Amino acid sequence: MLKRRVIPCLDIKNGRVVKGVHFANLRDTGDPVEAARAYDSQGADELCLLDITATTEGRDTFVDVVRRVAGQIFTPLTVGGGVRREADVRRLLGAGADKVAVNSAAVANPLLIRQLADRYGSQCIVVAVDVRQLKPLPGETDPLYEVVIHGGTRSTGLDALSWCEQAAALGAGEILLTSMDKDGTRDGYDLAITREVSQRVPIPVIASGGVGSLEHLRQGLDPKEGAADAALAASIFHFGLYTIAQAKHYLADHGIPVRPHEAPRGVLITG
Amino acid sequence: MPREVILVDSQLGNLDSVEHALIQVGASVIVSSDPDRVATARMVVFPGQGSFGPTTRALVDGAMGAALRMVIERGDPFLGICLGMQLLFEQSEESGGFDGLKVLPGQVRRFPADMRAGEDPESARLKIPHMGWSDVQPTGEHFYFAHSYYVETPDPSLVMWWCRYGSVEFPATIARGNVFGCQFHPEKSQWSGLRFLRSFILGGRA
Repeated sequence: MLKRRVIPCLDIKNGRVVKGVHFANLRDTGDPVEAARAYDSQGADELCLLDITATTEGRDTFVDVVRRVAGQIFTPLTVGGGVRREADVRRLLGAGADKVAVNSAAVANPLLIRQLADRYGSQCIVVAVDVRQLKPLPGETDPLYEVVIHGGTRSTGLDALSWCEQAAALGAGEILLTSMDKDGTRDGYDLAITREVSQRVPIPVIASGGVGSLEHLRQGLDPKEGAADAALAASIFHFGLYTIAQAKHYLADHGIPVRPHEAPRGVLITG
Repeated sequence: MPREVILVDSQLGNLDSVEHALIQVGASVIVSSDPDRVATARMVVFPGQGSFGPTTRALVDGAMGAALRMVIERGDPFLGICLGMQLLFEQSEESGGFDGLKVLPGQVRRFPADMRAGEDPESARLKIPHMGWSDVQPTGEHFYFAHSYYVETPDPSLVMWWCRYGSVEFPATIARGNVFGCQFHPEKSQWSGLRFLRSFILGGRA
């Protein structure tokens, strides 16, 4: 049986984790490699690194971070942020990423999704979709969501559901759905749009934006609430509020099928 | 003395993580895209991701395909990962139909589009690709899968571990003599994956 995934996400700026990371039993650190190793050993199902630098030097540093992180973990690694063209995807996959997320560039040129999926396989192309709820017009009952780009600063006029369906039809392997309204609020995912997208598209959906508690993770993954296939979170893990293992236990106790946390045993370690 | 493994580079995806995992479990890894070099290997790991298509046709029909068959027929330990396992079988229905290496009996099929999570036809539609961690039977261990196609074989004695997704039960690992395959990605399956690779490296078994 397929389990629901818990995915910690690290925002990387100029080669360092921003927001700060504070794990139990580890010193305060902004080093992405140390953070990735800690999450890996806690039983994260996957890791996500997002590049939030804007400069070319920052981009090169990011590729180096991807290479160093990939060399330390044995779980899937999704990377994204500023991916504009095929050369960026090639560079990131070459550095050891398993999946690459495209966002604004796919909105500007949807056929990029098909080009990348044909070349690298759907399983490694994630389409990141940032959405915002529109103010309902008089008489409207169902909320409408639009796609926003450039970190939520620019509207596109695209309907979120249609865009997700189009991305799936063009060959995306997964949708990483972030609510800009909820991002950073710590009051939980936007469950309405998460559920709608997840029920509508035939590919896995990763919920993102707004997690402040373990209950929020559960809501995102519950088939009747967010119905997402995977739950992404940043600050609750970074600040040492909860470990991945605690999250897994909570979810399992509340009926969400997750991969049990397994302590390393019986493997010859040479490195 | 570390076991020497030839890791086949056939342009079917990123090799770094497989190499990294093999080194972690004690192998000495030589990455090669040279069929002559592969033909002389004492132990071969053949990874792949992506799809059956023109690339796999070139491989199956070309010198690399011949080299892989030679290693297998000679009886040296061989492990195919994901697409590398699927390629051991006869044909795939992917991309309109392509031949595999035909070392083992079976077909590669796509998961049906309308699978449901439960018996109830109103229950949630299952996503394709089958992506994430699933348990295999009979061991109950979890491995990381990322695939839309699976192997269907008329010979269940080939299958070592099974995995279920929706209504489809498919081989998670296969074994016949010196030939092994896994549909999951052991290099991405943390400790379970490393244990699986170590068994192969140490014993030529999985």
